[in-house]
This record gives sequence, C-alpha cells and structure tokens, in this order.
Amino acid sequence: MLDIKPTISALRRSKAGAFLLLIQIAIATAIVSNASFIVYDRVQYISQDTGYPEDEVFSFSLNTFGDVEDLSQQMEQTEQLLRNMPGVIDAVYVDSVPLSGSGSASSFANLPRDQNEQENYREVRAAYIGADEHIFEALGVEIAEGRGFLPSDVIVTNTRADLPPVAIVSRSFLDEMFPEGDGLGQHIFTGNMGAQIIGVVEKMKGPWLKDSRPDNLLLIPYAEASVYQNFIVRTKAQDRSEVIGKIEDLLLEQYNERVIINLRGMDESKARYNAADLLMVRMLIVLMVILVLVTALGIFGLTVFNISKRTKQIGTRRALGARKSAIVRYFLVENSLVCVLGLAVGITGAIGLGHFLMTEYSLPKLSLYYVVATAIGVFIISLLSVLIPANKAANISPSIATRTI
Amino acid sequence: MLAHYLDLSVRSFKRTPMTTLLMIIAIALGIGVTMTSLSVYHMMSMDPMPHKSSKLFHPQLNTRDQGVNWWTQDDLPHQLTYIDAKNLYQADIPALKTPSVKTGYSVHLNDDQIKPFMETVRLIDNDFFTMFDMRFIYGGPWSDESDNSGELVTVISAELNDILFGGENSVGKQVFFDKVAFRIVGVFDDFDYHVKFYDLTNGAFNQNEQVFIPFSLIEPLEVNNWGNTNGWKYEDIRSFQDKLNSELVWLQFWVQLDSPEEVTSYKNFLTNYLTEQATLGRFERQDVHFDLKNVMQWLDYNNVVTEDNRVVVGLSFLFLAVCVANIVGLLLGKFLKRVPEVGVRRALGASKRQVFMQHLVEVSLLGLIGGTLGIAIAQLGLWGVRSTYSYYDALATMDLSMFLAAPLIAILACIIAGLYPAWLVCNTNPAYCLKTQ
Repeated sequence: MLDIKPTISALRRSKAGAFLLLIQIAIATAIVSNASFIVYDRVQYISQDTGYPEDEVFSFSLNTFGDVEDLSQQMEQTEQLLRNMPGVIDAVYVDSVPLSGSGSASSFANLPRDQNEQENYREVRAAYIGADEHIFEALGVEIAEGRGFLPSDVIVTNTRADLPPVAIVSRSFLDEMFPEGDGLGQHIFTGNMGAQIIGVVEKMKGPWLKDSRPDNLLLIPYAEASVYQNFIVRTKAQDRSEVIGKIEDLLLEQYNERVIINLRGMDESKARYNAADLLMVRMLIVLMVILVLVTALGIFGLTVFNISKRTKQIGTRRALGARKSAIVRYFLVENSLVCVLGLAVGITGAIGLGHFLMTEYSLPKLSLYYVVATAIGVFIISLLSVLIPANKAANISPSIATRTI
Repeated sequence: MLAHYLDLSVRSFKRTPMTTLLMIIAIALGIGVTMTSLSVYHMMSMDPMPHKSSKLFHPQLNTRDQGVNWWTQDDLPHQLTYIDAKNLYQADIPALKTPSVKTGYSVHLNDDQIKPFMETVRLIDNDFFTMFDMRFIYGGPWSDESDNSGELVTVISAELNDILFGGENSVGKQVFFDKVAFRIVGVFDDFDYHVKFYDLTNGAFNQNEQVFIPFSLIEPLEVNNWGNTNGWKYEDIRSFQDKLNSELVWLQFWVQLDSPEEVTSYKNFLTNYLTEQATLGRFERQDVHFDLKNVMQWLDYNNVVTEDNRVVVGLSFLFLAVCVANIVGLLLGKFLKRVPEVGVRRALGASKRQVFMQHLVEVSLLGLIGGTLGIAIAQLGLWGVRSTYSYYDALATMDLSMFLAAPLIAILACIIAGLYPAWLVCNTNPAYCLKTQ
C-alpha cells in the first residue's frame, strides 16, 4: 500500500540527498529538544512565585552623608514620612531587600556553638533581614503560623547591638532546620546567641534567587540605622509609579544631605537580577525559530530537486494509471522514511547532547518529554514541507513523460 | 583565471537566482547567529592587557585551620583578609604592588550647583596606575608620600570631571566625598578594558570606578566595603577595628612580577610569610597553601565567560552545520543541472582540477556575500542582546577581528559545503554529458 520497497530502492539511488536531509533533521532535533528544555527551565525560574506581590513593592537606598546626631531617629522620621504618603500601604527601613541581589547570609545552628560536638548539631544556611514589625505589611507577606513581631520585640539602635531573642522564618528554612516538623517555638543559634522562632511565613525568597538556599530567609526585629540604609515600601499596584515619582523630592525636602539611589520596583529588581536568563531564553528562541525555518526550507528544496529529477518518472507513472494521491503519497513516504531515520539519530544525539550539557555545565537533566515532543514537531514540519512540492508534482501531466523521451 | 571564474560565478548566480538567494540566506543566517554569540564570547574571553597580563598576579592565601573548606575549586578564598593585604603591601619586596577595595561615597562640591550623587570609589596604592596602564589627561598619580601619610587626595575619571568641572583641568581643586574634602591630583582617561579584571567580585563587566583614593585612608575613614565579605569562622565583630583584625576576606591584591625569577622569589616570600603566620598561631595548618594567578588564569578561575554563553556558542555552530547541510543540498541540485555545460568545457580541454577550482570559487563568492550579509544580521542580534541586557553593552559588539572572522568563517563553511558537489561535477565523464545533450 505504502510502496515502501520501490521508495527505498529510489532512495538508494540518491543517497547524498537523503543523507543531507537526515543530517539536518538529526541536528535540528538535537538542538531544538535541548534548547526548548533550557528555555522551559529558565522561564519557570524567571516566572517563579517569590511569595511577594512584586508589582506593589518598591525599594530604594538612602546614603546619608550629612552629620546627623541621631541617625536612628532620622530613619524613624523618614519611615514615618513614607508611611504618611498618600497611596502608601506601609514602609520600613531594612538592612537588605529581598530579590535585590545583595544582602547578608550566614549559617544558623540548632544548638549553641559550644555544643557543636553533639551528634544532632546541624547548621543551615539562610539569608537574614533586620527590620521592625512593619516588614510583613511592607513586603506583603502573611504570618502562616505563630505571631508577628510586637513593637516591644524590636531593637532600634544606632550602633551594633546584641541580636534580638526572637525571629520569624520562612517555611523552607524551618523544615530544613527542624525536619521533624516541630520547629516553631524552638531556638536557633549564631555563635552562642540564640533566638526563638516565633512565627513562620509560608513563602518568602531571600536576596538571591540563585543562592544555594534561595527560599531560606530569617526576619529579625532589629533596626540598626546606617548611613547606607535600604527602604521597602508597598502601595497598591496602580499607585506605585506615582509614589515612586514623588519619593526623591519629598525625602530631600525633609533632609538634603543624602542621596537616593536604586529606586525601583521589586519586579524590576528581580528582572535585573535575572536579565542574563532572559537573554538566554530570547537567544535560544530566536535560534530555534530560525533553525526550524532553515530546516523546513532545506527539506522543501531537496524535495523540489528530487521532483525535478524525476519529472519523467512521475509522468510515466501517471500515464500508467497512478492517481495523483499516489504520487503525493510516494513523496510523503519517501520523506517519512528519511525523517524517521533522521529522528532516530537526532533523538540519540539530543540525549547525548543533553547528557554532555548536564555534566559539563550546571544544566538540569534533559527530560525525555522534550525530545519526544520535538521529534513529533520536526516530523510534522517535514511532512508539511514536502506536501507543497509533492502536490505540484502530482499535477505533472502524463503527456510530459511521452514528450521528452 | 580567477577573474574568469568570478565572471562564470556571477553568470551562474544570474541563471538560478532563486537557488542562489536561498543559499545566501542560509549562510547569512548561519553566520548571523554564530557571530552574535561568538562576538559576545570573544569579548568575554579576550585578554584585556595582552602585553602585560602574564606579569600581573593575584595572590590567594589559605589562612584557615586545617580541615576547614572553602567553596572554590582549589579551596582558596578569592580575596584576602585585611591583615594579609596589609602585610603583603608593606613587605619589603621590590615589585609594583597594590591592595584594593571598593567603596562608595556621595560626590558633591559642597555648593548648590550640583546635586550630590553616588559614585563607587576604589582604594589603591599609586602603583595601581602604573600596573594597569592608566592614562592621565590632567595631572597624574598621587605621590608615594601621600600613600604613606594618608593624605586626602584623589584621582577622578574624565567622565566625572566633565560632570563636576565641565571637562576643565581640575587638578588642585576640591571635591567632597560624603563630608570629606579631597584634593584632585589627576584626571584619568576613560578605561578601555571591557572586563573589570582587577576586581571580579561583583560582576566582571560592571563599569570601572570613577574615583580612586589612597589605600591608607581605609583606617582613618573606616571605609565600608561595597564588595563581598566572606568569613569562615564565628567571630564577634562589632567595631571597625574588629573587622580589620578579623579573618574575614574582603580585599583584592595585585603584584607585578616581570620575570620568572621574580615569580619564584615572590612564591618563596609567600611560603615564608605563611609559615611565619602559622608559627604566630593565627591558624592551625600543617601545609603551606597559596596560589599566584596571572590575569588570564584569574579570569578563567572566576568563570568570566558564562556557561550560558558557551552553550549558546556551541549550539550556534551546530546551527551553522545545519545551514551548511542545507547549502550542500541546494548546490547538488544546482551543479548537477550544469553537468552538460561542464561536459563541453571538459571536452574543450579544461582539466578536472580547473573545473573543481571554478566551482570552489563560485561557492567562495557565495560565502563572501552571505558572510557580509551575516555581519548585518549579527549586528541586529547584538542589538537585541544589548537591549535585553544592558550589562552586556560593552560586550555585545563586534571588534575588527570579528568583522574579519565573519566572512572567513562564511567562506570556509561554503567551501566545505561545495567540496562534494564540485567533486561530483568534475568527475562526470565528459563523453556521457555530451551525449545527453
């Protein structure tokens, strides 16, 4: 029915053309399955849920160079000024900002350092941010379990003080620190200083999305004023750009020996941090689109060439009674044979390439799903590329065959 | 002969304009994509100071207790502690050397003319200017005396000089960093290094600092570190002095060693230094562990060329291979149609070699045209890179070598594509060709 035998013997006579087609299909399959997998992986990463309403939050840094007697008092005043701005839901000064790409991290332990010989002593890495009780409202996160900070928990200071005895942590940190699930209420230690975990936030990412522990974050009720101070402000999404526009003038009006920098929305900070990944996504998409187009053109070109070589043969077959559909089918079968062979090579190549990328670079393991999906896609595209010239071939008049003999 | 071949090529293009166009598009796309990723790769991996990069070294010291591991591949920290940086700096070694660290200040002139703005500031020894070949448009480096006495002097960039003083000679004038008045002693010409190789901690392709001040100011000004600070053990650090005495690593250090002998003697010095520090009881180690990396080793060690870029370059070349396969297919069709004509030429005395050469000239011309068009496509691609990621602004460009490489790669690719079809054509029996006419 499919006339595979004569098709194969015809293919044997134009090995070069078939071989070229095979190579193109194989390479295209190998590249597209890996590239699309990387793209999917990066898009997942870029669009991940960070736990924050990113379009409502913005942050900036304030560098105070004037001689301020009580910096702490001034930061509190600035904070108040921001909270009173129309459109602002809450504002807080902090030592670092989530998703911004800069901050502080440390190892925290379940026991004091002087007990680190004990068998159940465990250290877990986490980022930490110090701020007063407004931090939750300003970041737009909720306490899932336990309680938030009380104003009486908060240490407001101008100089380095002892850390407060309480902390609120992300679920991810809690589960890693206390795998038994009884973390809430327990103490964590840095050195020999301990703090009790009084609350849990379901999800809040730290300053670095590419950290080895991006989900581990500690909030401590500690507001140390600094000449280089970060602020986090939350508004309604539609008010944000208006509020951002007013910040600089308002703050300089209050006190002018300071400089405001890095004033930007949380989504923008995140996009900056992830710009290289977006670049990778775009480059790979462009590469894939052009590659598929070029491959389709190549298949198209080769089929046209094959047909032009076989005009007489087609005419003869038509004259002997072959239907138009038989001619189209012939070319489809021929292409499919080569394509399946190419796909077989391509799938092997894709898996090999995926394995290479995984071992040489820090890329995740290629999922077979992408290889299969790509193979099906390439097969369909190759059929479509054949269909147009094959239909044209089917219209070759039987008389052509007799005329030129 | 070449002129004749070129003439034949042009005629051949005219005879099959569609196939020619398709081939040119294929090679142009292949080159466009490849050159886009290759240009970025080239800029990333290029030696920033070819004449000197093998003479500038960044030492790394292992001053941790035995058994404490660091996360780098060779278990050495990237940066130095203040204690080590200061000791290496003050060591009596006849070589150019400089510690360095990044900070930031509000820059202003203490008047109403210019609104204060933030600038990153680097603390260095004046050897830095010589070691990194910085050129001055006004004034020059500060003196060794200023280095030692911690005088409030500064060297600023031409760019900053334009903003503050409208580009005039500002040597001797005052500029304020936060509340402190500094005297300008020099204005340096724009940096033309695309890689900030002297400090890779916070991104290799960030802009260089616009302001330099003496390293000795670190203690009196209690300079904040704007780079990374890493620690490996618990230390209760409360004051600035605590930080200076701590085992935190946060400073860079460069030394210029002009000959292998100097390198050897510097390594001896480091060995002695670490042995001495161990006997002082600063850390508990049995072995002496350090490394001295030159600029290119340092760039490689810090993975300046990103993995993503390597992956994209690899995939681009695979893509180019698809384009080449495509062209082979098109050429097969085109050349085989021409067999009768070749038969005539062969019958009239053209050798196989001549026919072969004629076809290679034709594909080379194809490569040249496609390569040139590919440069245009690559420019479009690089523009896309820059607009997606402004951090790559200085990288996503083609320098002269890339402009030359593009047509060369294109021609090479086309010749590879043309080899088999041309060989097929020139091996056809002329008698057979003539017969079928």
